[in-house]
Amino acid sequence: MDRSLADMCRIRFCGFFCEMSISALSDIRVIDLTHYTAGPYCTKLMSGFGAEVIKVERPVTGDAMRSYGPFFQNRKDMETSIPFLWLNTGKKSVTLDLKTEKGRQILKELIGVADVLVENFSPGVMQRLGLDYETVKNINPGIVMTSISNFGQSGPYKDYKADEITLNALSGGMSVTGDPEKAPLSAGPSIYQYTAGQHAYIGTLMALFQKGIDGEGQYVDVSIQESGLEHIEILLSYNLQKGENKKRGGHMFVPWGTYDCQDGYAVVIAMPYRHWHRAAEIFKDPALFDEKYDHLLNRIKNRIEYEKRLKTCVKNMSKKDLFHAGQSRQLAFGYIADLKDVSESPQHEARCFYKEIDHPIAGKHKYCDAPFIMSETPWESLRAPLLGEHNSEIYNGLLGYDEDAIKQLSEQGII
Amino acid sequence: MKKKLPLTGIRVLDLSHSWAAPHCGRILADFGAEVIKVEYIRRLCLLRGAKKDPQIYNNHPGWLQVNRNKYSITLDLKEKDDREVLINLIKISDVLITNSRTGVMEKLGFGYDDLIKIKSDLIVLSMSAFGNTGPYAYYAGYGAVFEAVGGINSLTAYDKDSRPCRIKEVDVINGSAGAGAVMTALVYRQKTGRGQYIDLSQLEAATHATIGEHLLAFEMNAHQTLPNGNRHWKYAPQGCYRCKGDDKWVVITVRTEAEWERFCDVLGHSEWKVDGRFMSVSQRIANHDDLDKLIETWTRERENMEIMALLQENHICAGAVLDMEDLCKNCHLTERGYFVHEEESPEKRFLGMPFILSRGAGRVAWRGPALGRHNEYVLCDLLGIPKKDVKPLQENEISTAFDK
Repeated sequence: MDRSLADMCRIRFCGFFCEMSISALSDIRVIDLTHYTAGPYCTKLMSGFGAEVIKVERPVTGDAMRSYGPFFQNRKDMETSIPFLWLNTGKKSVTLDLKTEKGRQILKELIGVADVLVENFSPGVMQRLGLDYETVKNINPGIVMTSISNFGQSGPYKDYKADEITLNALSGGMSVTGDPEKAPLSAGPSIYQYTAGQHAYIGTLMALFQKGIDGEGQYVDVSIQESGLEHIEILLSYNLQKGENKKRGGHMFVPWGTYDCQDGYAVVIAMPYRHWHRAAEIFKDPALFDEKYDHLLNRIKNRIEYEKRLKTCVKNMSKKDLFHAGQSRQLAFGYIADLKDVSESPQHEARCFYKEIDHPIAGKHKYCDAPFIMSETPWESLRAPLLGEHNSEIYNGLLGYDEDAIKQLSEQGII
Repeated sequence: MKKKLPLTGIRVLDLSHSWAAPHCGRILADFGAEVIKVEYIRRLCLLRGAKKDPQIYNNHPGWLQVNRNKYSITLDLKEKDDREVLINLIKISDVLITNSRTGVMEKLGFGYDDLIKIKSDLIVLSMSAFGNTGPYAYYAGYGAVFEAVGGINSLTAYDKDSRPCRIKEVDVINGSAGAGAVMTALVYRQKTGRGQYIDLSQLEAATHATIGEHLLAFEMNAHQTLPNGNRHWKYAPQGCYRCKGDDKWVVITVRTEAEWERFCDVLGHSEWKVDGRFMSVSQRIANHDDLDKLIETWTRERENMEIMALLQENHICAGAVLDMEDLCKNCHLTERGYFVHEEESPEKRFLGMPFILSRGAGRVAWRGPALGRHNEYVLCDLLGIPKKDVKPLQENEISTAFDK
């Protein structure tokens, strides 16, 4: 198309950058005390865009996600947990026992040479470790400290336990997911934890940006629940502005949704509105394009009859044919792809959305690459670290402990 | 402590419409960026709705929320004078956001090559549906499209054989990814003075932030754990149980054997602990239907808030399924001061911030703006055009996204 786009493709296609280019976050060092999903997704983004992320893990067991699974070929091992492999790409791992005095002292040394500290312990744990923000700030006045927790650092629910479905329920998304005549339905993927990771990333970068102006750090408090309320911002706004209590149900617009077809589910959306008349070439029912249904408001008024006619048309079509038939007429159609479809997607293939990453124990596999492509700054897809793989590099190279001292720390179970 | 918004002094031109990209602009605006929404009166944004009279397009709850803190100006980029206005605005801006179909900005003469001639360090965020390259580059999409085509949709359903349900909400996930992209580029520009172009495919960004681990699991094991309704693939019981009242529910997850024993005791059903169907997690998974019936018999007699409090006191994951009304008066959110009041008219309440920054939390200065509300501010105060040259809004020329 034009030069800039060609450049961009080359960047992802070949991993090629001119010698001048540096990563967006290349001079940022992150001490990562996080585990499971929300915190690790935040620091995965940082690592991908070039920050040095030092993941501090408990000796022997490490991040709890290492033993959570599912595992590569169901071989349970500290290095084969699939979500761990995905969430920790490009990070460095050191082991450190924060329950020991010496362990906490070493952590303070790490904090002293860091730009960012991210943690997602339960509220109160950092205080008990003697590492509340005030202390951290005394060690390193410019640091940005980011805490992610289920319900924030304060309030009556702060000590509540939560799994992903609990977050679905208490963030409101669940009440509006699924069928009105059935129970509310939790999203399958862990979207609330991932979204909190996104927000922690944004908040931390805003704090770093502000620090770039005046040198001062700050504290970022991410509540997964509050972060999750963003998902229903429009529905909540209906309650705040008009007192309406929106519930589960289909989309307000007609047609806008999934319809049974010959080989699965097609997505038919009558948008952009001005192009809908072109669908007359696809759906052989002239009544659908009758003048009386011309305006969306009339289709909404006659929803049941209109959808019934459309369902009849869609029933015998194939999902991919319909997708391309709509899209080639500039209509935003789709189809429900399964993971096999997605794994073989020609669009992902053409844009090199998957990148092979080799891992000494789990082997070579394709992972999703960058979340978005930046023309000047690379995304790096590197494998997740083995537990404690970088002990020597960090404790010796960065903090200056000699080999004997490291050996001793290891024998004492501190690292 | 003095409060200062982190993005004060950053100017963003928001040429986007619908939800995802405007959501990105909203996050930047909440935290202090001056976000100027460029609108076209002959085709209003989707969130302004389908009705014209009496100015309903200025009052949709979705519009008020997603475009809060923004400035609205109206331009027709096919008109020479208006193009000149945009060019002059680009000269004094830091970021430009678009979610037009691939190629549209180029056709308008505002492709990236044109833009960097106007402002060499501009950060341009393109949020097209499928990205700017590849066989689907020119395809269009809304949340419902790339959620489906991306495979995300296929992982949420009541069971493996039933119709997939949409999650809430890929537009927001993409908007957050966009805000992350702009922040990444701003941090880089602060360090190097260089802007850049970001090609954010909404298909890819949503996939990355939701199912990267599931695609990897499929790649490694040719197996998937989802969809699994409200159940957990490795813990049991987990479910959503009906409670006393109309459409009232509670979710419960029992994660360990110790929790299971406590759970039985708390419910007053110690006999479940020695019931042959439930003595290990694999047995509970195998007999989940039976167990759900027993649990629901207990939950139906009680209020969901009461069950949540009781189980949480015993350190078991439980959550009331809060609906919109519940959330707006929820004690935890209230105590945290989550909801905020519009500074212009404090009787109006809005959602709070997705995260809290200790040096300057975001704010809602004003609701999503009336159409063209800031024409005079932008044209006269920012660009120095004489007041007399600012054309009044031609209401008779307004068309919604649903008019031909």
